[in-house]
Amino acid sequence: MSASLAPECDGVKERYDTCFLKWYSEKYLRGKGTEDECAALFKDYKKCLTSALKERGIDQMLEEARADHKESDEAHMRRS
Amino acid sequence: MVKFYESSFTYDYTFPAVTLAYFLRYPNPYSTHVLSTDVISRSVDPVSGRLHTLRIHRKSSRLPPAVLKLLPKSVLGNVRSGRSESYILETSTIDIKEGWMKTESKNLDWTGILSVVEKQEYRRQIPVDEGDDFRVGAGTTGVTTTVMFRSRLGERLRARGTRKGEAAVAEVDDEPKKGFLSSWSTSGIQRSIEAIASRKTENQLGKSKEGMMIVLERLRSGGLVGVLDGMRRDRELAFGREKM
Repeated sequence: MSASLAPECDGVKERYDTCFLKWYSEKYLRGKGTEDECAALFKDYKKCLTSALKERGIDQMLEEARADHKESDEAHMRRS
Repeated sequence: MVKFYESSFTYDYTFPAVTLAYFLRYPNPYSTHVLSTDVISRSVDPVSGRLHTLRIHRKSSRLPPAVLKLLPKSVLGNVRSGRSESYILETSTIDIKEGWMKTESKNLDWTGILSVVEKQEYRRQIPVDEGDDFRVGAGTTGVTTTVMFRSRLGERLRARGTRKGEAAVAEVDDEPKKGFLSSWSTSGIQRSIEAIASRKTENQLGKSKEGMMIVLERLRSGGLVGVLDGMRRDRELAFGREKM
């Protein structure tokens, strides 16, 4: 499995990834995956990842990416 | 100031296999620069049944040396003092019933110097029921890749300086007036940065296709277990056992 950007999240990420791959290949790809069966595991992983993103200042970069997107859309609208 | 690159390709693998390989494409022997992959959010739309995924990849790549040469010192100061790694945001939507997957990847760092947005559209190419076993090599999957480069050097820095009133950014803004750009217009530098990025991208798109092929072949010969075993070996080779 691919590593997490935060080594402390590797364990929870691996558990979630394993669950997702099983669900994706055995259910979703067979048209039976209507609900997310890995939600509980994702919650643990997300909790770890969110604080890791914050610690590294990546959460702000993500927000900026969204703001930039909006900004360039607006500029585009003005031009046309 | 926008530049496009477009290409099409057909994978000799089923659509389900290709989508699975897309999620599992890192690590592979051609992706040693990709250090990590994380899922930020993921959901199934209850009405359409589409799967939406937002991921963030960390890469060890820096700006290409040829691009670095073109940048004023004040901008380089910011880049060099920063991390020697960069982040890519990837969104993907899969509609398994209609047989398509749309993806978009873009860089999160250095966006003021160069934005690269890669869009891909994968489509199932066999209209007949190809079954649900991804190990069965029946049916093919077409993919169209579009890459957009945009250098906003200058305009972006100015906009930012005005908006936030950051002292450091204001200095960057002053630099061109002192002469760095006097002999060469900002748009000339933007065009050069875009041209360099374009050449680099053609090379990298080839590598990312090779990586997908390896993952797909592992899937065909060994199923999911085969892919995961391959990943473990690649990770050991790339990052060493101590990090496992």
